Amino acid sequence: MAAIDVRGLEREYRSGLKAVRGIDLAVAPGEVYGFLGPNGAGKTTTVRMLVTLLRPTGGSATVAGFDVATQPAQVRKRIGVALQEAALDLLMTGRELMELQATLHGIPRRDVRARAEDLVGRVGLSQAAGRRVGTYSGGMRRRLDLAMALIHEPEVLFLDEPTTGLDPTSRATLWDEVRRLKAEGTTVFLTTQYLEEADQLADRVGIIADGVIVAEGTPAALKAEVGLPHLDITLMDCSDLTRARELLQAFGDVRPAPAGVDVSVAVAGGATEIAPVVRVLDEAGFTVASLELVAPSLDDVFAEKTGRRLEGAAEPVAAPA
Amino acid sequence: MGTNLAVVVALVRRALNEITRVPGAAIPGVLAPTIFVVGLTSVFGQADRVVGFGEVDFRTFVVPVGFLQAAGFTGAATGVNLARDIEQGWFDRLLLCPAPRLTVLTGLVASAALRCLLPVAFLFLVAMAIGVDFPGVDGLLVALVLVMGLASVFACFAVALALRFRTQQAAPLMQMGSFVGVLFTPAYAPKDLLAGWLEVLATVNPVTLVLTGARQGFVGGVTWGDTWPALLAIVGLVLAFGALATRGLRRYSG
Repeated sequence: MAAIDVRGLEREYRSGLKAVRGIDLAVAPGEVYGFLGPNGAGKTTTVRMLVTLLRPTGGSATVAGFDVATQPAQVRKRIGVALQEAALDLLMTGRELMELQATLHGIPRRDVRARAEDLVGRVGLSQAAGRRVGTYSGGMRRRLDLAMALIHEPEVLFLDEPTTGLDPTSRATLWDEVRRLKAEGTTVFLTTQYLEEADQLADRVGIIADGVIVAEGTPAALKAEVGLPHLDITLMDCSDLTRARELLQAFGDVRPAPAGVDVSVAVAGGATEIAPVVRVLDEAGFTVASLELVAPSLDDVFAEKTGRRLEGAAEPVAAPA
Repeated sequence: MGTNLAVVVALVRRALNEITRVPGAAIPGVLAPTIFVVGLTSVFGQADRVVGFGEVDFRTFVVPVGFLQAAGFTGAATGVNLARDIEQGWFDRLLLCPAPRLTVLTGLVASAALRCLLPVAFLFLVAMAIGVDFPGVDGLLVALVLVMGLASVFACFAVALALRFRTQQAAPLMQMGSFVGVLFTPAYAPKDLLAGWLEVLATVNPVTLVLTGARQGFVGGVTWGDTWPALLAIVGLVLAFGALATRGLRRYSG
């Protein structure tokens, strides 16, 4: 049974605006599903329907086996949600908020304290737990929000743009936590407009534009749809490029090289083929001056499917070490 | 049941938390009814000499009105706070908890019922200090129960508006309900002295029954005959405005 099963999901507002126009998707238990799209594509509307904050106007969806429209309380028991804006009471301390969240989810009082301490420790807030949230940085608030979403050990976790506007350190902490949750078997539905985030964290990615899913698959498969990665190679001695091209044809199609590059070859295996390529060239007496692996990005996939570029795609995303 | 009660208690504690952590924000709501009563008494204190007013001191006559206004201020503040929580996304967090929506609503309303005791207590102490007659323990208890009930009514009204408009800018509208509700009663003079149209409105206005009930002890003795209609009015108003707020809550996610 899928952890999230969505069929023909629609949401039309009273104004007549159709924000979501018939979405189908299935997320397997334990999977991290990246929901990628620009602002206004329908990501948040979809999430709000899946977490029972908004009633669908068409189609159906089940989360953790329960229908979001007819069994919302059952769904809410099994999901954790960190929405786009970390909604926290700034007058309360981190610890108080964790305890309040636990109470809201019906966790017995005797279990609350230990679980709260464990979670604030996991997100690196042990030292700050006794301070009012109003004194927290944006990154700390997001991490607390995530810890609160996990207090009742949800089967499915919804993260709506969890790292938007965060500094690299906070982003790294959140990414690590998502990886850890995946390792523990939690299903994660992650919306993001950051390509690298989806690439790094998601097992599969759904790309949404104008309320419909335009592409879905593993990041690698989606990128493969728009072409193989290729190696752009510059040689120290380019007197016998013909020979070099012949050698590299064993790896894949040798493409027309862009300016400043001597040889460009498609490599299906991506980074795994760098060492063999260098070795073959070296054994034939060529010295590699520089080499760059150029891979199609999810933005290329988005552009291929919609004819547009993702907003924020050019925004630098600091990759955690 | 126990879980739902724990949720209600948690929400009430959070609401009370605001008073203890930002006392300055609570001061206007606490002072306003007292300022109103003291000011009104200063200006219209001699009104009790009007023929037909009866053998009652004007200060004593209007103190229960101040109680009702305290309920109105607190109820409206509950709506404004909810609108703020909606704007800031906190309300979504409440709606994401598995407890029934009615439990969340009960928590909000119960917090109003408790919070109104603060301005009421302050007004009562000032009233005693300026010479208002003590209403008796039974009179005071009846007044407190009714005022808490009325705060719940006004909170339901304000919550319904907050859920409809989802902005703190609707605050004046939330305040308007209690203002109108209390104004069209024999708040400032006995019903017999009111102008014809106002007397008619005061007669059909259920808040009049609540005021009459809350005035017991201050004006005359406490009787079951004046208590049960007031309690019935509160129950009816809570059911009516509670239904309105519940409908608002249902439509909020629609």
